[in-house]
Amino acid sequence: MSTEAGSGLRDDELPGLLRGSLDHCVKCTICETACPVSNVTPLFPGPKYCGPQAERYRVADEPSVEWSVDYCSGCGICTQVCPQGVKIAEINAQARNKIKREHGVALRDRIITRPTVLGRLGTPVAPVANLSLRLRPARILAEKLLGVHREAPAPRFAGRRFSRWAKRHTSPRTGRKVVYFHGCGTEYYEPWEGEKVVALLEHNGFEVEVPKQDCCGLPLQSSGLFDDARRTVLRLARALAPFVRDDDTIIVGNATSCTLMLKREAREILGLADDPALKRVSERTWDICELLLDLHDRGELRTDFRPVNETIAYHAPCQQQGHFIGKPALDLLALIPGLEVREMTARCCGVAGTYGLKAEKYEIAMKAGDALFTQIRASGAPSVACDSETCRWQITHATGRPSVHPIDYLHRAYGL
Amino acid sequence: MRRELHFDAVVIGAGTAGLTAGARLAEAGARVAVLTKGVGSTHLAPGTVDVLGYAPERVSEPGRALEDLVRSRVDHPYALVGRGCVVEALQWFGERVAAGPFPGYRYVGGLERNHLLPTAIGALRPSALIPETMAAGDCAAGGASAARVCVVGVRALRDFHPALCAANLERAGVDARSVELNLALDRADQNALGVARRFDDPGWRAWFCAELSPHLRGEERVGLPAMLGSTDPHGVWSDLGRRLGRPVFEIPTLPPSVPGMRLFEVLRSSLRAAGGRLILGAEVVGAERSGERVSSVQAHAAGEERRYLARWVVLATGGFASGAIELDSRWVTRERVLGLPVRGAPGADEPRFVSTYLDEQPLARAGVAVTGDLRAEGVENVLVAGAALPGAAAWREGSGEGIALATGFRAAEVVSEAEGARAGQPGRSEAVV
Amino acid sequence: MVTLTTDVLVIGGGATGAGVAWDAALRGLEVVLVDRSDLAEGTSGRFHGLVHSGGRYAVKDPPAAEECVVENRVLRRIAADNIEDTGGFFVTTPWDDAGYADRFADACRATGIDCEEISPAQALREEPRLNPRVSRVFRVPDANIDVWKTVWSLARGARERGAHVMPYHAAVAVHRDGDEVTGARVRDMRTGEETDVRARVTVNAAGAWAGQIAELAGIEGVRILPGRGIMIAMNHRLVNTVINRCQMPTDGDILVPIRTVSVIGTTDEHTDDPDDHTVLQSEVDAMLDDGEKLVPGFRQARALRVWTGVRPLFEDAKAAETLTRDITRSHALLDHAQRDGVGGFLTITGGKLTTFRLMAEHTVDAACAQLGEPRACTTASEPLPGSETQRSYRLGERLERKEAHLREEQLICECEMVTRGALEEAIRRSRTANLDDIRRLLRLGMGPCQGGFCMYRAAGILHGLDGLGAEEANTALLEFLQERWKGIWPILYGDQLRQVRLDDWIFQGVLDVAHLSA
Ligand SMILES: Cc1cc2nc3c(=O)[nH]c(=O)nc-3n(C[C@H](O)[C@H](O)[C@H](O)COP(=O)(O)OP(=O)(O)OC[C@H]3O[C@@H](n4cnc5c(N)ncnc54)[C@H](O)[C@@H]3O)c2cc1C
Ligand SMILES: Cc1cc2nc3c(=O)[nH]c(=O)nc-3n(C[C@H](O)[C@H](O)[C@H](O)COP(=O)(O)OP(=O)(O)OC[C@H]3O[C@@H](n4cnc5c(N)ncnc54)[C@H](O)[C@@H]3O)c2cc1C
Ligand code: SF4
Ligand code: SF4
Repeated sequence: MSTEAGSGLRDDELPGLLRGSLDHCVKCTICETACPVSNVTPLFPGPKYCGPQAERYRVADEPSVEWSVDYCSGCGICTQVCPQGVKIAEINAQARNKIKREHGVALRDRIITRPTVLGRLGTPVAPVANLSLRLRPARILAEKLLGVHREAPAPRFAGRRFSRWAKRHTSPRTGRKVVYFHGCGTEYYEPWEGEKVVALLEHNGFEVEVPKQDCCGLPLQSSGLFDDARRTVLRLARALAPFVRDDDTIIVGNATSCTLMLKREAREILGLADDPALKRVSERTWDICELLLDLHDRGELRTDFRPVNETIAYHAPCQQQGHFIGKPALDLLALIPGLEVREMTARCCGVAGTYGLKAEKYEIAMKAGDALFTQIRASGAPSVACDSETCRWQITHATGRPSVHPIDYLHRAYGL
Repeated sequence: MRRELHFDAVVIGAGTAGLTAGARLAEAGARVAVLTKGVGSTHLAPGTVDVLGYAPERVSEPGRALEDLVRSRVDHPYALVGRGCVVEALQWFGERVAAGPFPGYRYVGGLERNHLLPTAIGALRPSALIPETMAAGDCAAGGASAARVCVVGVRALRDFHPALCAANLERAGVDARSVELNLALDRADQNALGVARRFDDPGWRAWFCAELSPHLRGEERVGLPAMLGSTDPHGVWSDLGRRLGRPVFEIPTLPPSVPGMRLFEVLRSSLRAAGGRLILGAEVVGAERSGERVSSVQAHAAGEERRYLARWVVLATGGFASGAIELDSRWVTRERVLGLPVRGAPGADEPRFVSTYLDEQPLARAGVAVTGDLRAEGVENVLVAGAALPGAAAWREGSGEGIALATGFRAAEVVSEAEGARAGQPGRSEAVV
Repeated sequence: MVTLTTDVLVIGGGATGAGVAWDAALRGLEVVLVDRSDLAEGTSGRFHGLVHSGGRYAVKDPPAAEECVVENRVLRRIAADNIEDTGGFFVTTPWDDAGYADRFADACRATGIDCEEISPAQALREEPRLNPRVSRVFRVPDANIDVWKTVWSLARGARERGAHVMPYHAAVAVHRDGDEVTGARVRDMRTGEETDVRARVTVNAAGAWAGQIAELAGIEGVRILPGRGIMIAMNHRLVNTVINRCQMPTDGDILVPIRTVSVIGTTDEHTDDPDDHTVLQSEVDAMLDDGEKLVPGFRQARALRVWTGVRPLFEDAKAAETLTRDITRSHALLDHAQRDGVGGFLTITGGKLTTFRLMAEHTVDAACAQLGEPRACTTASEPLPGSETQRSYRLGERLERKEAHLREEQLICECEMVTRGALEEAIRRSRTANLDDIRRLLRLGMGPCQGGFCMYRAAGILHGLDGLGAEEANTALLEFLQERWKGIWPILYGDQLRQVRLDDWIFQGVLDVAHLSA
């Protein structure tokens, strides 16, 4: 049992409020109707069962008696739809964490949850790394040794790092500062997304600062490695906090799951509600589409959009929905002349971060996303917009359709 | 920067009342955000629009009974909106279903007469406007059919017990029998939605019908738990009717409710189609007032609360069931979202409940105090709709969805009328809502 | 009228009566056990759930404490499957006399209670929701016990040894043949049929109703002063250790985690009628306030159900010195041959659930003496059916079992994890059509939704089994709804009110049970 220096929180202590929220459950099953995992596999009994129901049988000092909760992907949809305010996904996360503590964490989970390490290793040798990620024998080996499913969507290392570009880039001094949190996906795999974000922000009069930064710890958290996750997110919070001392500057990010980690999950799931630096960062963090639509609502967004004559499918990923800000991308994309956007109503692509990479979960994740994939195929749209990178990789993997962040279309429409 | 969003109207709650108000407002051109903690009762309720089932005797002509009610109970939500509004709201709803996301799916009926629909235990429940998929179950005199009812269940579905249903229908004078199929599903604890997803698959339907057909006899109509498809109810229902060669109907059962989820989807897509925003997870936790007006509401969001500024607020939070109105452990009743006064709650030393469960409970009719046009007492720009209103014990009357639909509809109208009048004033140039 | 003949007739099927039946059957006697309603429907089924360590009585009543110490150890051996070893704390809160703690520690030492003082910080680590302002904490071997399971295993064990167990049979007359009691006439409360039970010894184990039975036997002065107490079950385990206030025993000073809930109690109000189940709002308020002192935030937690039990406090109206009665201060065994010159009749009352086995032992000793057949008691070493392995109960058991059969076992009551198989077996075995009996047997419908989801399911299953008519299934459902309402409405606020609204919609909306044809 370890104590996290910064948090003063014991790893095995379910924050009282989370557990207490089970009292609000009226057993209505609404969460069950929305859970992408329990809908496709009988191995997972679902959010109502694993969350508020099973929690009444869990005693802190006694060993876990169930495994099935490990099939929860942590997508968080259940918490979003629950009309009574039960923190279902969070309760599940704690139960999973306890199982991990009792039974140890697979080597695989220790590796795939560290994008920074992977990125640093992969970037300099990108061609080789990318090749081996695509070579069947290598993938089979990885599945056997590591339990990473051979078919699972694997991103390509870009071979360059966004932060290098950012260091060389100088943002025009407008005095209206914004701090850009780019996350690991942009850093190692999609640096061009970061460049677009910077361009969009500058186009709208912002001076963009890119502090030195690291992983937010979300993959660690979702795999139940809470201690490591706490250390990681606190390190990031310490790095970002000095930039948002004043009340005007905000942090903006395009990695929607990582911004959610900063905004909420670290505080609620990891029980870090009281850390002052994290609190500051959490309150000052915005999703990129949230910010742009907000600017638009105030009449401050430039709308010099050129037509983009295309039809696209838009999927709001679970983590984006976890921000509780609606679907700002939809309203932004609607500003682009000529662009026809089909809203996908299926909730989840199944991958949930690293869940869908795991050999024993891959099939489930693919099935969980099936409703979405079917909708995308039926929509007739040749490409997909989606706010989260892992979800995009999964969607492209499953449907064969290219997928981009919604800001790509804004970037194009601005003609930047 | 602060998180502040500006709208013409903010609707709190995404049940029938809130979604109806939101969709109507958006259709009238307003910038609308529907803020909601979670989804509402739609996912639980049968999906029928019951206008008035008991008053307190069983009602067979809801239109007529409604008129009496409006006269005799001036504090009743229906009295606040009037019969005409109910008619319009039903009409509007019917059109939205027809234009909605489920091709061919429609509702039947109206205020002329109540259908009598078998419940899962075999009582007969009066309802005015019902999904077509339930129509063949009508057991009212002069109803769809007098043919024998064959109630069909699947043993793996713990939420439906066909034998008990049929036995009680018999006791109510309906010729009925039951069949229970022992189909293997892949899990022990299946709910109606899980089975509905299987019905989406034509192959499964064919197999199901092949299993069922040998058990059917003569001119029966076939009652199944409400689980006929999750994405294409009209297609699934018609297909089953064709394959079985008999009328087929759905019997609503324990939550989750498949027809109720369709109702939600119809209203949600109407809202979206008209440009309204739906923000899930946005529990409203406070409000700012300026004088007699609520100027903004604060809603929960990840990281930091967001302020929504709006000229109008529609409170459609569902009342006690959602916790928006609360009786606390010190026996104080309060409206928790905007801190509005509550009407109809028993006083500190009056009984709140009586000891016989099925009697009317004194607390039953409590709700947010409103004036004649649904405005919250003491606040000019807050309208109240749905189960948050006082004056009805809807579960005893069979009037829940009817009230939610009609008052949500009316709330939008009140806003539009007021904005219209305002825009008509000289010197105003803001967009007409 | 049917006539039964037996060695021992036991009137009253609470823990005491069932304990007597088990003990007598183990000693090879023929036994008939009757209760006017279901077993453990009296005080036993309405108690607080605590197997006392003795701590509560250490200062006030040392002999009672000593009995608890012994019986606590015995019960853990013989009824392991029904007992969860939660351990207990005695805590000094800011509202308690600080001087009591030292007296308490001394008294524990003197009475042999296994008591260890720990630091408040340690206690808070173990029980994070405990009031951080406690100043002293003592650890004692408190435990909880599932009384229904216990009474049923006693009855089952007795039955397996030939006893005749008759729930829903009330003693309506006690037969006297001169100076001898020769048995009783019992009436089936469901059918009205009567049975004559001829017995060599009749044991009055009717708890708070013992005075009424003594009167039927024409014996005077057995006065029971019923003391009514309320308890409130909270929706989940706020604590996993029994929490006692370290002070002279008073109201609302114990919080017991038992099964999935935690129970705050209790009060002590004099009442004239043992069947008085009034719950006053002032009592509810007092309990919630007391809960708040032990666990801050208690009032925000969800209250599930309230119930009352009546203590059988015995007061002998006959002059004390003329009695030769087996006296411990905690329970009363009256040998009416000695007390009143009436043979074949014993009254056992008072006491605690923790000491039911000891009470039974003394009673059956006296019965054997009356029969002139001394036989040794073996209940202190013979495990109850189901407890043979001596493994004590753990909260996670039902979850673990369901997990092992995730895809095969259908849950009917989701909150309390009652499977279809368990329900069907209980219906068959108990031959009851009363869902409230099944509730106690299995905890069906005892969780947060209070039957909102499982009662329709259970009624359907009940109807399907053994060709029970729809009418009986409907009645079972409606009676259950009324029965649960009794325990809900006096504490209905907060989260539970949301639940009741949903349940109202399920029963009165979706199912429309109020309009089932009569
Ligand atoms: C099981 C069940 C069966 C029913 N059966 C029938 C029937 O047979 N016939 C019939 O006519 N009616 C029935 N009803 C009732 C009917 O569904 C309701 O009366 C009606 O839907 C009420 O709608 P509403 O929109 O007012 O409230 P609700 O549907 O309860 O919606 C309330 C909304 O407010 C939201 N909310 C609450 N607090 C906040 C907050 N602070 N911030 C943001 N959002 C908030 C909730 O998340 C929810 O979305 C049934 C209801 C249930 C639950
Ligand atoms: C509020 C409260 C809390 C308590 N908490 C605890 C605790 O935590 N720990 C503890 O050890 N003890 C506790 N006790 C004490 C304990 O519950 C009782 O001492 C014990 O249950 C008594 O059991 P019994 O079998 O003697 O009586 P009962 O259980 O009352 O049994 C008597 C039976 O006689 C039956 N009967 C009555 N009349 C007739 C008739 N005419 N014919 C047939 N049958 C009849 C009744 O139906 C009843 O079932 C508590 C008591 C109260 C009141
Ligand atoms: S949605 Fe919320 S209240 Fe409903 S069953 Fe799930 S956790 Fe319970
Ligand atoms: S977090 Fe996602 S996968 Fe887990 S229970 Fe909730 S909805 Fe299901």
